[in-house]
Amino acid sequence: MISITNLHKAFGANEVLKGISLEVTQGEVLCIIGPSGSGKSTILRCINGLESYDKGEIRVVGHHVNRDTKQIIWIRTHVSMVFQRFNLFPHRTVLENVIEGPVYVKKEDRTQATIRGRELLKQVGLANKADAYPNQLSGGQMQRVAIARALAMQPMAILFDEPTSALDPELVGEVLSVMRNLAEQGMTMLVVTHEMAFAKEVADRVIFLDGGVIVEEGPPREILVNPRQDRTRDFLRRVMHVK
Amino acid sequence: MGSQIGFVTVVLMATFWNDAVEFAPILLKGAEVTVMVTITSLILSTFLGLFWALLRTSHIRVLSWISATFVNTIRGIPILVQLFYIYFVLPEIGIQLTAFQAGSIGLGIAYSAYMSEVFRAGIEAIDVGQIEAAHTIGMTRWLVMTRVVLPQAFRIALPPYGNNLIMLLKDSSQTSAITVAELSLESKLIAASTFKNTTVFTMGAIGYLIMSLPLIFLVARLEKRFKRA
Repeated sequence: MISITNLHKAFGANEVLKGISLEVTQGEVLCIIGPSGSGKSTILRCINGLESYDKGEIRVVGHHVNRDTKQIIWIRTHVSMVFQRFNLFPHRTVLENVIEGPVYVKKEDRTQATIRGRELLKQVGLANKADAYPNQLSGGQMQRVAIARALAMQPMAILFDEPTSALDPELVGEVLSVMRNLAEQGMTMLVVTHEMAFAKEVADRVIFLDGGVIVEEGPPREILVNPRQDRTRDFLRRVMHVK
Repeated sequence: MGSQIGFVTVVLMATFWNDAVEFAPILLKGAEVTVMVTITSLILSTFLGLFWALLRTSHIRVLSWISATFVNTIRGIPILVQLFYIYFVLPEIGIQLTAFQAGSIGLGIAYSAYMSEVFRAGIEAIDVGQIEAAHTIGMTRWLVMTRVVLPQAFRIALPPYGNNLIMLLKDSSQTSAITVAELSLESKLIAASTFKNTTVFTMGAIGYLIMSLPLIFLVARLEKRFKRA
């Protein structure tokens, strides 16, 4: 569904991605792990056209991704994104945040969008917060609204950019459980995360990224439990806080 | 002695009231022109200021440069000189304006520079993350501006915008220099012909206060409201 070939991206003299190739198939949950600065988020941002890229190609169901053409709107309405810092619209209620895309981008009927918006909020466990404003919610609640907002676009795939990294530890669980449900329903998900337990349990495949290249990829049991590469092993040892 | 002072006071008060009643219609006419100049230049400066602010924040270097140059040029020249320029210099290249037109347009352009800075501050206060989120749900630049950035930017800009409005009301008196018959010019004319300086200018000052005090209270309320939000 999403296919990336030999992706290169540099910020000035700093080459962040040095030839990334990967494939995400329909219904797959792919987790990308790796140290900070390894280029994980940049991959997601390139897929959605938030960043341009220098070399290589990204295709979403065959459509070439180029942020300078109108085509990017099509890509974005079919591939949603969830951010580390939620990025809700603070001047709109929870429900308005969710139906903003359907009503103003996809020009759906407001009544229909509202009904579906409420269902989505129920799905993420926030039916009673529809009329609250984002600043009245906890971080975990805000992130669940952001997920509902992403779902409201009825996307083919969702990109998650460290969705639990800005949360207090006790709020991580509620967000992960919503994501787990999505995975079970067959949503195609590309997840940049530091939650190794989540990756182990939910991912179909894990990619370990370091220094802008894919060091290792495979099923979670393989990568997270019996990595072949020393760099992967070092990284896991550090994030698992074990000697 | 005491009764004498009392008598003088009563006479003075009576004269004041007589004069006030006599001058009031003329001064009210002036106040009306003041309000008209203020409203016209407020509308012009708001739209023009928004335009400069959008150019400035467009991330297109040429447009941003044009806007910055204009705003800095206007901010660096006294309003009075700008008014003289429009009223006395433009006719030399064939652009004839009435005093009211020149005054309103001149003030409007001058204030567009101040308004643009107010709007720019509001626009730049919006978190980049929100703009990215808006893009990722497929919004065009137009939608991002009208649905996400501007509604929030206006709220942030409202108190300083109100302050500019109060300044604009008072600065409308500068158009008297190019013969716009607004409140301060009418006051001066009456004073010059009657020598009743105290009465006339007191009335003029009170006139400005009556117009600006409600605005001052309104702005104070807005500031309080947005501090809470």
